[in-house]
Amino acid sequence: MPPVIQARDVAFCYTQRGRGLASVSLDVHRGEAVHIAGPSGSGKSTLARCLCGLIPHLYRGNLSGMVRVDDLHTSEAPLWRLVERAGLVFQNPSAQMLTVTVEQEIIFGLENLGLRPSEIEARLESALTRFNLERFRHRSPQTLSGGEQQKLALAAITAREPPVLILDEPLSMLDSTASGELVDYLGHLARQDTAVVICEHRAEYVRAIKGLRTLFLDGSAPRPSSQVSKPAGRESAVSPFHLDVSGLTVGLGGQPVLRNLSFSAESGQVLAIVGRNGVGKTTLLRALAGLQRYEGDITVDGARPDLGLVFQNPDLQLFNPTARDEVLYQLPAPDLDRYNWLMAMLGLTRYEDTPPLLLSEGEKKRLALATTLMRGPRHGVLLDEPALGQDAAHKEMLMVLARALAESGQLVILTTHDLALAGETDRLLILGENGFVADGAPRDILRSETPWAGVGLDVPAWVVRE
Amino acid sequence: MKLGTSHRPRIVTLADDSPLRRADPRTKLALSLSASLAVMLPLERLIVFMGIYAILLAWSGLLEEARMQIWRLKWVLIPLFILDWLLVGPHLAVIVTLRIILLAGAFALFVRTTTPSEFRLALEWLRVPYRYAFSVSLAFQSIGLLDDEWRTIREAQRARGAWRFEWAGWRQVVSQVRHLVVLTIPAIVLTTKRAWSLTEAAYARGFDSPHRSSYRRLKMERLDWLLLTAAAIVGILLVGLAGSFWLSSIEARLAHWR
Repeated sequence: MPPVIQARDVAFCYTQRGRGLASVSLDVHRGEAVHIAGPSGSGKSTLARCLCGLIPHLYRGNLSGMVRVDDLHTSEAPLWRLVERAGLVFQNPSAQMLTVTVEQEIIFGLENLGLRPSEIEARLESALTRFNLERFRHRSPQTLSGGEQQKLALAAITAREPPVLILDEPLSMLDSTASGELVDYLGHLARQDTAVVICEHRAEYVRAIKGLRTLFLDGSAPRPSSQVSKPAGRESAVSPFHLDVSGLTVGLGGQPVLRNLSFSAESGQVLAIVGRNGVGKTTLLRALAGLQRYEGDITVDGARPDLGLVFQNPDLQLFNPTARDEVLYQLPAPDLDRYNWLMAMLGLTRYEDTPPLLLSEGEKKRLALATTLMRGPRHGVLLDEPALGQDAAHKEMLMVLARALAESGQLVILTTHDLALAGETDRLLILGENGFVADGAPRDILRSETPWAGVGLDVPAWVVRE
Repeated sequence: MKLGTSHRPRIVTLADDSPLRRADPRTKLALSLSASLAVMLPLERLIVFMGIYAILLAWSGLLEEARMQIWRLKWVLIPLFILDWLLVGPHLAVIVTLRIILLAGAFALFVRTTTPSEFRLALEWLRVPYRYAFSVSLAFQSIGLLDDEWRTIREAQRARGAWRFEWAGWRQVVSQVRHLVVLTIPAIVLTTKRAWSLTEAAYARGFDSPHRSSYRRLKMERLDWLLLTAAAIVGILLVGLAGSFWLSSIEARLAHWR
């Protein structure tokens, strides 16, 4: 049987951003699952767009080589015919919601197939049942959790029954349980004769699919430094302190999110907070940073803490013409030794004169971290999902930096879905609906079953082994 | 700057209990457009029209929503009213204020009882091409999200120590304003990115297909014909029968007041 996807020496260079994908060849047959792996910037997302025809139809640039989906050449066939054959699920589910109800989100793609209302009805009901979304059918997709939104995005594409399903970083925003469920479903689809192509950093989850084939894309992006000296500047002079949080209660939109939460932390620690999507991890960080109204007390030795928050989305915090201006913004007498150390440490020295908007997502995330560290918050930093979309080398760099900050007496608190990353910290806290359900050494907590079962999270076996 | 009190996306909720929710979107569009056109009526007839419109809002359970819309406009309405009164006179002050109130009420009626997809169907019925009708409905539903995004940006900037507009004398005004201007960059970036993500998502689900079908079709019911007939009668009375007794009586009273 001929492959349903045939790619020969495909390479793409974006008009504005430059290189997107180096030459790649790939055949995918029906019923086969293929994992596209590779470091940040190696072109996984670009390849996903080439395979379904969004490149060259929606993107400007130079495409060379040939891609055939079923019997259609992507550079010749109209886009609507290509996406009937190859469905693409994007990385960020909330950014791809086009309508105001779950039901309409699924109907939209079915109407575009030109199906009769009775056929649309049948496929809609089937998709809602398959993904357990019936109870949300009249809800706005924007009110669903990240995991539910990802299910909906998948339901909207699979209801169109494309013979090829392509997923771009589908696990990046999901907790361990939702990730496991999604991978199980993808394995099921492959067994049902769908060709499944998964572009994903978190290879440990994807490996669970039987018969999975892996294609590794090699990137030419510079590798971050994992050698680091002590941080230059003011952290060296931090004296030991205690962060005390007691009776912290936060409500959002009339709904309680955090209830009577209490914990304490000491300077020199790297803390990881894990929990299911929507449980209030980001809200907790916002309260610690003084950005969220709350009831209760958050103090460091009796006073308000000075903790810098690095947001999940770096675009929120970047607005200057160059990376240098960004890091030195509003600093009347910047410590240039510290600036040079930070830029070198985060692999940003070569981008000093580059506009932040032209950096890759991973580089922007590191730049946002540099801006916060350069400001020198007295007690430490709060990192909201710092590993999101980062490859293994960047995660390693992140932990080296966190460790260096902790050794200089600062407190580092991070939230993450990445249990392997959480396992490398000094202390792990599991946040559930009614507060923390576990607090202790990561190694012990990861081996214990009770707290994870209580919050509906699974710890994959490979995390414990590592 | 206020601390964030809500981080949930603000979604425009529909007034599901309102009888107008069941009406066809074309009917509601016609009613809202009629109300918008009514701003051209002279003061006397405008007052009569607003009385009738208030009855419609009360019947549809949206009087409170309209009141809230008008309350949100108080910082525009009050200075405008005072300025018009001082510069021209009470007649202009009253008529301009009433016109803005009427437009706000018309907007409330449509937004609270119509989903973006119903709006799109109404536009398609008006022969607006699908791609434009879809884009307009997408913009319609994104209003609440943009507001949310702007608030998140301000918080992110605050976390960096930016977004502090402090009075530091006239000499510092230029640099302060420059800081405010650069803070709009993330908003532009995010909005552009969101628009691009939505474009990709729409095309990935066959948005450009020439063989589109429609799951839901518009259908005029008895309620729609009743509402449209009533609106037509009100229009004829206000425009055509201007000389009727009761209208003349109101006009005479207002002329006396002027």
